[in-house]
Amino acid sequence: MKYLLIDTTTSNVTVAIIENNKILFNYQNTIISDMSSKILPIIEAGFNSVNFNLRDIDKIFVVNGPGSFTGIRVGVTIAKTIASALNKNIITLSSLEYMATTFTDKKYLVPIIDARRGNVFAGIYDNNLKLIEKDSLISLNELMKKIDSNYELISYDNINNSIKPKVDILKIILKHENDKSINPHKVNPNYLKLTEAEERLKLKENI
Amino acid sequence: MDNVYILGIESSCDETSVSIVKNGCEEIATVVLSQMNTHSTYGGVVPEIASRMHVENITIVIEECLKKANMKMEQIDAIAVTYGPGLIGSLLVGVSAATTLSYIYNKPLVPVHHIAGHIYANNLVSKMEFPLIALVVSGGHTDLIYMEDDYKFKKIGGTLDDAVGECYDKVARIIDVPYPGGPLVDKLSYEGKDTYQLPLPLDDNTYNFSFSGIKSAVINLVHNEIQRGNEIRKADIACSFQKRVVDILTKKTMKALKEYNVKNLIIAGGVSANSGIRNKFSELCKNGGIKLTIPHIKYCTDNAAMIACAGYFAYKKGLRAGLDLKAQANTSLF
Repeated sequence: MKYLLIDTTTSNVTVAIIENNKILFNYQNTIISDMSSKILPIIEAGFNSVNFNLRDIDKIFVVNGPGSFTGIRVGVTIAKTIASALNKNIITLSSLEYMATTFTDKKYLVPIIDARRGNVFAGIYDNNLKLIEKDSLISLNELMKKIDSNYELISYDNINNSIKPKVDILKIILKHENDKSINPHKVNPNYLKLTEAEERLKLKENI
Repeated sequence: MDNVYILGIESSCDETSVSIVKNGCEEIATVVLSQMNTHSTYGGVVPEIASRMHVENITIVIEECLKKANMKMEQIDAIAVTYGPGLIGSLLVGVSAATTLSYIYNKPLVPVHHIAGHIYANNLVSKMEFPLIALVVSGGHTDLIYMEDDYKFKKIGGTLDDAVGECYDKVARIIDVPYPGGPLVDKLSYEGKDTYQLPLPLDDNTYNFSFSGIKSAVINLVHNEIQRGNEIRKADIACSFQKRVVDILTKKTMKALKEYNVKNLIIAGGVSANSGIRNKFSELCKNGGIKLTIPHIKYCTDNAAMIACAGYFAYKKGLRAGLDLKAQANTSLF
């Protein structure tokens, strides 16, 4: 089976091409500026380096959030455009679960993405990627109340002595490769946050 | 010569649109998904909501357009996309989709400036004849452009401050006309009379425009009338305002046609849907022996047919973008 994985939800981008549980192409880098214009050239370089092309892919895995709204949209747009044009199976992955593939000897992993104003996107997983507490937008203080020495904080953003993610592509794929494929038109970002305009409107309606 | 089919993608603001145009003049199919109803809840376009809706709809709109045209991507010669100017988050969705399609099908990618698109919407009405003067009026632009030939744009004048559409929306807000303000002010102007003293904006010898003065004049007028306890006659304000705007647009444009000795005028951009502008220009051009082209109302607002149209001429000229095409919020046509 041949897979393409795309993660552009943070500035730590992954583009990977996998065949029969072997990673043939693995781009993992920090892209600070103009990320959107760099992803397709990376995908192209990836397929130039393996002996099959995009049309031969069996499944696309796209990380659809939470994270940077713009970043999420770039990856999701590319992935759903490929999937709908070439009629490919497509599966969405959580950015936090992807971070939770990092190896640690602690019992629980707490992947965290800074969501500004004292808030974070976070979830809690055990070291077999079993979901303990689902991804949510939460204040960092609130989250820290749940944390003791059994928990490893994982973040690209250096939050409260967190360790840096070292993602394990095969681990997350192995867990999700038999997930049910989604209609590409229905593959959408998982922002975990309304827009400010929607929040204000909701507030107004609740008064 | 073989027929050339361009697939255009437009997502610069709040419309997700895809279109297929043949030879830069014949529309095969266009799909426009407008988000106007959503944004009207907020009294204007909310950029983040616009971006979100583009992602939700982009592949659906692409597929629908191909279906409507009864064509396959393999039959398309090139993909044209609006790369700017516009809302960056919105542009990114169209650019990402277009770049991806270009890669998948190995088709040339043609970058199109949004304003070039508005201008070329006219080629769907009648073949553009050169040299011509183009008056571009929209929410973000007020430009007078001289075109000697296809895809040669020379700016001869433009707004020094607010764009005319922006000014319409602001005046709408001042006199409490709901979103979308511009078209409603246009409509309202017919119910009123030109009774208010408003200045003719930047009535000088240049081809430049300035609309901040008349905007301030409307603000002051409304403010003073309220202070005096007078009734605000909205329709009369709309009428007086529209008359002044139309007067200055026509005055400078007709002057440019004369001085450049040009017999073709095209009007483009969202505000070219304004009936006051359409009517006055029709009358003046008829009397002056000028060939006037204004896009059909449905092509005045943002759509991908105009992008595919402009894309055809850009394609013929050899304009190409790579897979690293960047969306640009601000970018000049000149």
